[in-house]
Amino acid sequence: MPDRLQSGVDRRRWNPLAPLPALVRARVHDWMRRRQGPDVLPVTLERRRLYILPTGAGAAFGLLLFLMLLAGLNYGNSLALFLTFLLAAFALVAMQQCHRNLLGIAVIAAHAPAVFARTTGAVHLTLANPASLARAQVEAAMPQRAAVAADLPAHERQRLELPLPAPTRGIVRIERLRLATTHPFGLFRAWTWVHTPIEMMIYPRPHGALPMPAHSGHKSGARPRGGSDADEWLGLRPFRDGDSPRQVDWKAYAREAPLLVKEYRPAGSELHLFDFAQLTDPDTEARLSQLARWVLEAEAHGERYGVALPGVLLPPDRGPEHRHRCLAALAVFGTDDGARHGGGAGASG
Amino acid sequence: MAAAPAPPADRAALRPLAWACAAFAGGVLLNCDRVPAWTAATALLLIAWRLTTERAGARLPGTVARALLALAVVAGVLWRFHTLNGLAAGTALLMLMSALKLLETRARRDQLVMVGAGLFLLLSACLDRQSLARVPLYALQAWLCCSALAVVASAGFGARAALRLAGRALLLALPLAVALFLFFPRLAGAFWAIQRAGEAQTGLSDTMSPGSIVKLVADYDPAFRVQFAARAPPAEELYWRGPVLHDFDGRTWRRTSGVFHLRQRLQYLGTPYRYRVALEPTRQRWWFALDTPAQSPDTNVLLTYDNQLLGAEPLTEPVSFDVLSYTRTRALEPLGAFGRQQDTTLPPGANPRSLELAQTLRQRAGSDADFVQATLDYLRTGGFVYTLTPQALGADAVDDFLFDTRAGFCGHYASAFVTLMRAASVPARVVTGYLGGEWNPIGGYFVVRQSDAHAWAEVWLQGRGWTRIDPTAVVAPERLRRGVFDLLPDALATRVRLLRGSAWLTGLLQRWDAANAWWSDHVVKFDYSAQLDLLGRFGIRSPDVRYLGWAFVLALLGWLALIAWHVGRSARPAPPDALARAYTRLCHKLGRIGPPRAPHQGPLSFAATVTTHRPDLKDSVYALATGLQRPSAGRRTSRSSGGRLHGWRCPAPSGG
Repeated sequence: MPDRLQSGVDRRRWNPLAPLPALVRARVHDWMRRRQGPDVLPVTLERRRLYILPTGAGAAFGLLLFLMLLAGLNYGNSLALFLTFLLAAFALVAMQQCHRNLLGIAVIAAHAPAVFARTTGAVHLTLANPASLARAQVEAAMPQRAAVAADLPAHERQRLELPLPAPTRGIVRIERLRLATTHPFGLFRAWTWVHTPIEMMIYPRPHGALPMPAHSGHKSGARPRGGSDADEWLGLRPFRDGDSPRQVDWKAYAREAPLLVKEYRPAGSELHLFDFAQLTDPDTEARLSQLARWVLEAEAHGERYGVALPGVLLPPDRGPEHRHRCLAALAVFGTDDGARHGGGAGASG
Repeated sequence: MAAAPAPPADRAALRPLAWACAAFAGGVLLNCDRVPAWTAATALLLIAWRLTTERAGARLPGTVARALLALAVVAGVLWRFHTLNGLAAGTALLMLMSALKLLETRARRDQLVMVGAGLFLLLSACLDRQSLARVPLYALQAWLCCSALAVVASAGFGARAALRLAGRALLLALPLAVALFLFFPRLAGAFWAIQRAGEAQTGLSDTMSPGSIVKLVADYDPAFRVQFAARAPPAEELYWRGPVLHDFDGRTWRRTSGVFHLRQRLQYLGTPYRYRVALEPTRQRWWFALDTPAQSPDTNVLLTYDNQLLGAEPLTEPVSFDVLSYTRTRALEPLGAFGRQQDTTLPPGANPRSLELAQTLRQRAGSDADFVQATLDYLRTGGFVYTLTPQALGADAVDDFLFDTRAGFCGHYASAFVTLMRAASVPARVVTGYLGGEWNPIGGYFVVRQSDAHAWAEVWLQGRGWTRIDPTAVVAPERLRRGVFDLLPDALATRVRLLRGSAWLTGLLQRWDAANAWWSDHVVKFDYSAQLDLLGRFGIRSPDVRYLGWAFVLALLGWLALIAWHVGRSARPAPPDALARAYTRLCHKLGRIGPPRAPHQGPLSFAATVTTHRPDLKDSVYALATGLQRPSAGRRTSRSSGGRLHGWRCPAPSGG
């Protein structure tokens, strides 16, 4: 329920280990990682992976209590001492409540959908509260990023979007996520790290004014599966207003799948091959942007297209998966990831 | 340099500041009657001003203005108290400086400072007054401050949620607080000297002018409570000695200061009375005891030559002491020349008519004792009236009283009587204190109230020593029998008479007083020796501080375990419902016989995998997966759906 989401961008970044030198911090993280082991989602937050320390306010509260204790003892004043003890016990209760605000939460899923460069992507994090206790103000954050807070009512799931800027194409990797809370009194902060690798693919920015190259004349070899002879089966897409009920895939709906619409296209559409080598712009990024734009255009027109990069050839096809393959190839082209994926070997030729 | 204007805030954004202000205002109100009125008024005004500013989004004052204000505040406190040290001055200063801090409250941290100031003011109020009646106020303030912490930590809390949260946490904290209170080892003595100047004294003062005692008469507060070990003296012997006054200027009686006599040796006569007195703090030095205490109850308390108990320090905390008293004594030594001179001196030229009367009466009487009797007879037959609303007296107050107005109360009679005695060279002194006391059957003690304040005389008689004479008793014997309230004018006594008019109300009052006595005895005066007594009651033979430490640690650990269990209980996931159990069983079984579930697979995706390998399981696996996928998954399934799936079994492999 997005209305429960609060963007906590104004919160200062908080890192319990910030004042320590980077080396020590890294070692502490290594230690945490070793003792927690690798995480395979879903992960339930157990006692042994929750850490808790007083916040600045908590430390100040402790100092206040110490002064109150001194005053109470000095004056031999029973009521002042009782007040001090009451507040001290209150702080301990607050500690327990803070700890249990995270305890038992399940991290169901964490992934980052691909986005285009120069936009802002997001890590989608699904948290579940399997207990009968409502959780409030659970903050999730990536390292060195502002936290996003959400409330988790009892027995409910909640999807959080952690904004992640996508400045340039490539793959952004997030090693771990932090879940933290200072609920209910802000005196303590409980936190945990979930070491789940997340990759966000950043496609090149679609840009460029060149017209799509004319179809290369190849005829499609693959025969469409299903559908009538004349129409070509394109696949399923979510129902939109105005779709004919005849097109709805009622069988799937009966299996409690979402409402889907079968899509057909007239046969005999065009075939493109977008070739990196045929572009003349000296700037690699500009060429990739142009290719990305063509891919989007061709996909929008329902045409079949392929991408040729130095060392990579994606034969013509269509559909969301093909689109992703093409854009991903453009995204990692010339990067270490590209080399690892067996893609293009370095610079363009 | 003015601060940047804050944008106008909406309600939710205003909330943390409003709560921080409320916590602070609560602290101010708790202390408002012990700091100068302008201090509390300034603080409250600044709070109101700050809230309006925030709502309107107006500018806050700049650094220079704030610095000037701070200087003015310090100067104001110094001018009023002449010190910044001491509880009252410190409280006033804390109040004003925190109020000024409001002027630069923007960030969360500043709001936390305001809540902290609220707590400190609460502490200060606790240090000042520990009466049972104020405990609910203190509890409310603690609750308010803790709720404010919640709201400042997260502005999303509404008032009700914050109050509920803080109230719950405080209730959970209460058992540990009690255990810590009982077992946290107390220190004896203070780390640093305490100045308690500038605090109002209560009860009897060390001077007596015409009309001074009557101010106390309408004060129903208890002065002290007395529990007798055995038999209590009869009501007409309940004279509680306070300041003894020797110096007279014709109008006002004063205690002599800087005079030190050795106490005379006395022969004690009659019944000895052992009793325990629980004094309320008066910020004065005298400790009240029955007529003639035999010895001092405490090393810090001096038993003076005129049988007063005089503490070394003003009483700022309630105190209890055991003492032995006699109501009749005989002097074993003659009165020294200095003492005789001190107690026969009258201001020259004042009250001439009284002096003349005294000479006449003395000449007619055979002895000092006869003279005393003659004087009392004169008062009884002279048409004197006991009243708490006498006319004002002139410069020769005793003359005016004896010959003109002839109406007054204990102070007038004692003053006039001692003047007459001294005029005939009979040593005499005025004793102020309390007379009587109300028996509380619930607590088994006498409560002596401020309204029992009284003044009487002591005269030196040859062969007997100092003898108590109460001239008021001669004029108004009913004062002794019934207490002062029936004699009060309506304006002063309506409330008290109303309270005492109904037996039910009287019973209620006695219960309330007994509760107060219990509170004062067991809570306020709970100290190291009381802690050791408590351990002794648990059967520890020779209790010392180590046992306290152990009890303290045990209580802390036990409570922590309880709280961890209580708090953690609700955080544990609900036991898996039938669906989830069935799904787990399925995964487990298929993990052995295949196909296994990949870690990333959700129920529906796994169902698809299973179907491709084991088409025979398709229907049941999909039923399970779609059930789990529903938004209600994870909640306990209803009985019917649980029952429907209860018998789910994973069929044995069909040999594929």
